[in-house]
Amino acid sequence: MTAFPRLSELANYLGEWMPQLGTAAGNTLRMAVLAFILAVSLGLVLALARLSSHRLLARFAAVYVDLVRGAPLLALLFLVYFGLPSVGIVLPAFIAAVVGLGLNGGAYVSEIFRAAIAAIERGQGEAAQSIGMTYPQVLRFIVLPQASRIALPPLGNYAIGLLKDTSVASLIGAPELTLRARDLSSEYFMPMEIYLVSGALYFAMAAPLAYAVRRLERHFGQSGR
Amino acid sequence: MTAWARALPLIPSILAALLKAAVTTLEITAGALAIALILGLVVAFMRRSRSALAVLAAETYVQVFRCIPVLTQLFIIYFGLGEFGLRLSPLTAAIIGFGLNGTAYLAEIYRSGIDAVHKGQAEAALAIGMTRPQAMWWIVLPQAIRTSLPPIGNYGIGLLKDSSIAMAIAAPEITFQATAIINQTYLSTQVYLIMTAIYLAMSLPLSHAVRLLEARTGRGR
Repeated sequence: MTAFPRLSELANYLGEWMPQLGTAAGNTLRMAVLAFILAVSLGLVLALARLSSHRLLARFAAVYVDLVRGAPLLALLFLVYFGLPSVGIVLPAFIAAVVGLGLNGGAYVSEIFRAAIAAIERGQGEAAQSIGMTYPQVLRFIVLPQASRIALPPLGNYAIGLLKDTSVASLIGAPELTLRARDLSSEYFMPMEIYLVSGALYFAMAAPLAYAVRRLERHFGQSGR
Repeated sequence: MTAWARALPLIPSILAALLKAAVTTLEITAGALAIALILGLVVAFMRRSRSALAVLAAETYVQVFRCIPVLTQLFIIYFGLGEFGLRLSPLTAAIIGFGLNGTAYLAEIYRSGIDAVHKGQAEAALAIGMTRPQAMWWIVLPQAIRTSLPPIGNYGIGLLKDSSIAMAIAAPEITFQATAIINQTYLSTQVYLIMTAIYLAMSLPLSHAVRLLEARTGRGR
């Protein structure tokens, strides 16, 4: 049974770990941002597809959302990283992680957009059409600007979840914070200290985001929509 | 011979092995949910207590656990505690890890459930001579739990899927078992597709049930 090393020793270790963990945290952020962009783009397309009058398209989007939301993120990551090579698509782990997180997130984001669009009164769309706007114009100028405002707090919450979920990408060997922490942990045999430090780094990234989302929620709550 | 042709005769035994592992997945889910349901209520009560220290402790707990990945929490409990001589089995570590993580989420669900109960209910209970704890326990909580049921159901479904992460600490659940089978057969696409189908077979009926519950509680209010 070992005890925590003395504080001075721990400071030495931190000096060795922090540059590596810091770089890895940068990768985590990069992965999260790229996956977020992919998820929001896909989510918007899926939400519009579900609202479209093309029934096959709407049906396809609904099935996609149900299947992806019903399966674990890890299963999707494994299918993208280990499964796609069998059809000739070989992706590096980092890209596979971004693709997997984005495909997964698209389903969740489309539900956020759908709820937000539904929250815009139907009368607003009808009024816009009655003054001569086409349906795409109504969407572009009337519904989406208001819907994206409503969607902001849940999108923020999704981003926090995504930031934490990037840790799962370590299980396909994608270079990010948790993978680096695992490597360090097997090098130094100090898992408690190293995972606490990596946990603190996640906290430092997620807590400001969580604070911003709370502010946003309060702000929109007060503006009386 | 293609991988699919090789996989076909193996499907029954793969399915059997994965279904057996599904029991472990359900054990992790049920065990962690039980911990989270109870501790989450404790944390939710602490947040409403009149002791500033209790409120601070509860707020900090929720903030910290919600801002750190559950995988990191699992590693701390399994590998971290192991470093100090406290060696838990992977299954126990997974149940405790997901349970402590879920406590933060359940506390939030209970809180919005309690907030949704009209103030007049507690005031009326106090007016007829109930103490504050009595009013909470007999009047507010039963109604709060009713509105909390759909989000608790959704949380449970999320937990069922997230338990796949426990493979990282070698808990013998579905994903861990699937990976073990792939190491023997090299049929990654096929085994992972079967595995995904099993998760869907469990989660889709549950989401359907939660949607029905949502429709019912929505009408009842």
